[in-house]
Amino acid sequence: MRIIDVHTHPVLFKQGRKPAEVRRLIAHGRRLGIVHMIALGDVLLYGAQPNAAQLRAINDENARLAREHPDYFTAFVYLNPLLGERATMAEAERCAAQPGFRGIKLEIANNAAHPCMRHVAKAARAFNLVVLQHSWSTTNIKDRKHQSDPADTALFARRHPDVRIIMAHLTGIGFRGVLEAKALPNLHVDTSGGYPEEGLIEYAVEHLGPDRVLYGSDLPIRENSVTIGRILGADLPAAVKQKLLYGNTARLLNLKLN
Amino acid sequence: MLIDTNVNLGPWPFTPLPELSAPQLAARLAGAGIRRALVSPLRAVFQTDPMPANAALFAAVRRTPALLPVPVVNPALANWREQLDRCRAAAPIRAVKLFPNYHNYRLTARRLDDFMAAVARAGLKLIINIRLEDERHRYFALKIKGVPVKDLARFLPRFPGHHVFLAGLYRPELKQLAADHKNFSADIAFCEWADTVQDLLTVMPARRLMLGTCTPLLSARAQTDKLRLAKIPARTKTLIGTENARRFFDL
Repeated sequence: MRIIDVHTHPVLFKQGRKPAEVRRLIAHGRRLGIVHMIALGDVLLYGAQPNAAQLRAINDENARLAREHPDYFTAFVYLNPLLGERATMAEAERCAAQPGFRGIKLEIANNAAHPCMRHVAKAARAFNLVVLQHSWSTTNIKDRKHQSDPADTALFARRHPDVRIIMAHLTGIGFRGVLEAKALPNLHVDTSGGYPEEGLIEYAVEHLGPDRVLYGSDLPIRENSVTIGRILGADLPAAVKQKLLYGNTARLLNLKLN
Repeated sequence: MLIDTNVNLGPWPFTPLPELSAPQLAARLAGAGIRRALVSPLRAVFQTDPMPANAALFAAVRRTPALLPVPVVNPALANWREQLDRCRAAAPIRAVKLFPNYHNYRLTARRLDDFMAAVARAGLKLIINIRLEDERHRYFALKIKGVPVKDLARFLPRFPGHHVFLAGLYRPELKQLAADHKNFSADIAFCEWADTVQDLLTVMPARRLMLGTCTPLLSARAQTDKLRLAKIPARTKTLIGTENARRFFDL
């Protein structure tokens, strides 16, 4: 099966920047059937609250990947919404003007229910970008200032129904997160994050349908063989698995791949 | 043919997963290329006395030869010797398993001196289950954490003549213990990073790593692919996937 990985960090804490490392990563992906990766940036390099210069550095690195390997990497622009509307719009515009950018990546600068997220929605509309929001259940992680509970990401999606949003980390949001997303057609879920818990993939497809679940790995924090095997081993028809692994991301990001 | 060292049979109350019968569990494992598995009873995890769950396990797997029963023993109970004796009488077992965090005792407890001696005299291997799930995702009212590494770091040198099997270590925990201790083997069920197995082999010899999937709580296919697709020599895959378990558990 052809695979697009919607959630990768080819460069993490500066590891993976060298040309030889990038070539190795591409060879690794192709060996597993991954024909394209969405590069989300070195998002933890400067901690939870990167400033504008740090964001530019991370996004420039990501732009370089997409520029040098356009057939293999699509980039998302990493933003810190707390920097305000002007900074958010400026960085989104700067990156969207470059080839290979299709989305916005949000990490743990703020909770997805924070009012500053309206600037993100504005940027997504203005530059036709999909928003991928790090999300994790805060039931056991008591840090809702930075972590976005699935209820928070769902609220963001409900406030902005015209913005296409990916709620990251199916395993992190769990069964409750799937149900938060259920009634929101603009909200998608990626399958990255955590160990390959049995039954979650099938549950997500049962409640969200076959078109709103996207394969993601969170590479290099997670292993592609495991994250792909979890879908291939799920009790789902082959055509649905192919949607999860390839078709849904290709359609959402309007990717035209050879 | 893969041998899985970390499989459970029975219900898990926190997910909507259907409870599998022994033949269904064996079929699921076979679908991932696993032909033999060491299986413990999930019911024992939440019951003080594990013996009723052990009895149910022995009965359930009797006609499913792919599943080798590994009963759970609770050495914090006064009758732990009886537990060992009854398990050995019930079936030709190779190992017993401990759940210290679920059964409310620590590996630093003095009473384990006698228990370890009895396990050795019986010719059994000891499996210590570190965790069954990612603590971040457990049921909100369940506050049980994995077995502490610091307890393992005291336990292992206390019993230098024992080589124990640790099931469910996280990757950083395994690496931390491997740096100082040689008298343990471990499964790879809760170890994950890019190139997991390659990464683990930098700190742990292949002869001390074994396939463990934590089926049915985790996906058997995903877990076996971690080893099947690892960029390591085929001989090393065979050791980790089959031969180490065969040798260690005398299968």
